[in-house]
Amino acid sequence: MAARRDAMSAMLGSTLQVLRRLSARRSTSLSFAFLLLVALAAVFADVLPLDPLTQNLADSLMPPSSSAWFGTDELGRDILARVVYGARTSLVTAFGAVVIAALIGVPIGLVAGFFGDWRDSVLMRCIDVLLALPNILFAMALIAVLGRSQAAALVAVGIAGIPNFARIARAQVMALRQLDFVTAVRSFGGGSSYIMFRTILPNALSPLVVQAIVLASIAILLEAALAFLGVGVPPPTPSWGEMLRTGKSYLHEAPTYAVLPGLVLTLTILSFDTIGRALTALLDRHDTGVPERRGR
Amino acid sequence: MTTVSRRQFCIGGIALAAAAPLAMSLPAAAQQLKGGTLRVAVLSELANYDPQQLSTVNFHVIKNLYDSLIEYTPEGKPEPSLATEWTIAPDKTSVSVKLRDGVAFHSGTPFKADSVLATLQKGADPKRGKNVFSTMSIVKDWSAPDDRTVVINFKAPVPERQILDLLQFLIPIEAKGIDTVETVPAGTGPFTLVSRAVGQGLRLKANPNYWREKQPIVQDLVFTVFSEDAAASAALESGAVDIIYNGSSRSAARLKSAGYQVFSGPGKLVQVFRINSTRGPFRNKSYRQAFNHLMDRAGILRVGYAGMGEVVAQPWAPASPAFDASYTKAYAYDLDKAKALLAASGLSAAEMKDWKMLVNGSDEASVQISQIVQASLGKVGIPIELDIRQGAEFVSALLGGDFAAVFGAVGNVQKFPSRVTTNSIYRTSQNPILKDPHPHPTYVAAIAKVDGASGGAAEVKASYDNLNKVLVEEAFAIPTNSYEVGLIVASDKVAGVTLEIDNLFVARTIGFK
Repeated sequence: MAARRDAMSAMLGSTLQVLRRLSARRSTSLSFAFLLLVALAAVFADVLPLDPLTQNLADSLMPPSSSAWFGTDELGRDILARVVYGARTSLVTAFGAVVIAALIGVPIGLVAGFFGDWRDSVLMRCIDVLLALPNILFAMALIAVLGRSQAAALVAVGIAGIPNFARIARAQVMALRQLDFVTAVRSFGGGSSYIMFRTILPNALSPLVVQAIVLASIAILLEAALAFLGVGVPPPTPSWGEMLRTGKSYLHEAPTYAVLPGLVLTLTILSFDTIGRALTALLDRHDTGVPERRGR
Repeated sequence: MTTVSRRQFCIGGIALAAAAPLAMSLPAAAQQLKGGTLRVAVLSELANYDPQQLSTVNFHVIKNLYDSLIEYTPEGKPEPSLATEWTIAPDKTSVSVKLRDGVAFHSGTPFKADSVLATLQKGADPKRGKNVFSTMSIVKDWSAPDDRTVVINFKAPVPERQILDLLQFLIPIEAKGIDTVETVPAGTGPFTLVSRAVGQGLRLKANPNYWREKQPIVQDLVFTVFSEDAAASAALESGAVDIIYNGSSRSAARLKSAGYQVFSGPGKLVQVFRINSTRGPFRNKSYRQAFNHLMDRAGILRVGYAGMGEVVAQPWAPASPAFDASYTKAYAYDLDKAKALLAASGLSAAEMKDWKMLVNGSDEASVQISQIVQASLGKVGIPIELDIRQGAEFVSALLGGDFAAVFGAVGNVQKFPSRVTTNSIYRTSQNPILKDPHPHPTYVAAIAKVDGASGGAAEVKASYDNLNKVLVEEAFAIPTNSYEVGLIVASDKVAGVTLEIDNLFVARTIGFK
């Protein structure tokens, strides 16, 4: 029990260290701040005085004003309200997609990398097939089968992310499985499942966390792309991609309609990407305690 | 240096002042228009060269490669074209058509009665007749007493307007080219085909043997296909094209305010909220009638079609003989009236919301106006979801009747009123949505009454009034607005645009100032 507490506090300490180092960079801290703002807006959208659904046809395509900071859309709805509620759509899709991709991809990678043999071949060929399909095409095909909904978009984006997690997990396991601490656990009678999930996985988490951040940005972009192509979350549910799709038709009359949601989408993806890159750079320089345990 | 005396200046000024109104009053076609190459942006790829496939995707070529037997003015008055005269029998069971002499097909073959007979044969064939087939349902048989005369016999007395609609719909195809007309044009039109790059465009050149004097004005006609409305607008604004044909109403409204010429013809479409009255709550008549008052027609017209069109409560364009503006006022957007009818339906709240609205996801206007109706339904306590489908999936559901309610446009709304039955929701038999037997026999009887009203004006008007009354009472289709199809947006250097009754593109009169 004490050993587990020590391990937890060590992990917390190294996480805080990583966060501290990341925050030292201005670009990363700005990205953190923006993402926090987007996340807070998405979580607390219901308590804000914003209504994304009420139409006011008499006030359609109004420019930004004190009553509607981002202006109104073609149905007279508040664009700011739809951007805020659209953040909820994007973040829920991103979070759900990452969870699905990790829950399926990581075990596949662990099993393939740990056992090698025919299991590795079969699983990796399946992953290769999934990789060969363009993400957007695969997601559209899946939505055609499942129907157009947020759940369908989330599942489609999640499945598209499975190969990345599987390949990274497999590479990590292959690097770790021959190391001494794994051999030690095996000599004490640790079973395959125990070794994979309790011994190797905790030591392979860092690149997987980076992958989760990268996939989150890809998921947001993919969800927006699906909505832009008209197969995302059905209206009137707000979605950044849907706003871009409709707003592009009004670029002459109401340029802010497409530009502002597009800007928020761009900054969100940029923020995820910046954090992901910074984290990768930190890990590559062995700045945390985690790599040492990997025996490098 | 040449000097002008005060006297010369005054005389010249008076002469100019006198001549200016005269010049302005000349019709565009009569002005001295110049030839050249007319560049036209279109937003859809041509399906084929068959003039009996009167789909909007073919609208830009049909009247340029072919001529019809007669034409309508924008006001609906018949005019000779390949038929120089036509005589309707007193009992209205036949029409005799005299064909124009001195006309040749693009191949050089003289235009004679054999080509009209071959065209009639094709139109009457359910497999090859395409859009003409349903119009041929009134025709019994036909004959050619000589090379310049064709007689068409009808199954029963037919109203004069319906006979004229048939002649206007008949576009002669060269007899020997009838089997290959989808891929090789076989007409008498003002332009001949030069080349086609599928997905990119089409090049035509002036027919040197065309029978209309001094037409066509331009020597070359080039169509370029644009996949985006905005790209076509940009091409016009940059001078890369001279005309946009069949662009969106919104772009046309913007370009008009920027100084471009916008021409809209009489051949409008009418947007209709189609109700499958064989399903769920829509079997209830009172529930359906509430939808007459749930349509925010003004909002739908403004948001979906940039205000270009008219709000209507009947499936007729203003040019239709059955058009009656009083229905638009009587069945205006009124949530209180809608609520009263919903209450009278006796349906529970759960029954009322037990359906989804099918939406054409490929059509931006449909998505927008469906959301307007969705919001109106929410206000009267009927929260429903949108079932958005794309492309072929939507078309299949629409034409197969696999929906509870959906927006879909109807055409042929400016001609003889019973032509509305060419649209699937208004079919009186073999209706793919309402099926057989037709669930609204009063509507079927009203259409039959219109078709049979070949007597005096009072009888005809009474039949139209009866049809209008039945349509709002049965409420299986709720029209909301007419809107433009085949809009022409032109630069200011172009003149001579001819408005066609079906809004087909007619390039033969267009030239450069």
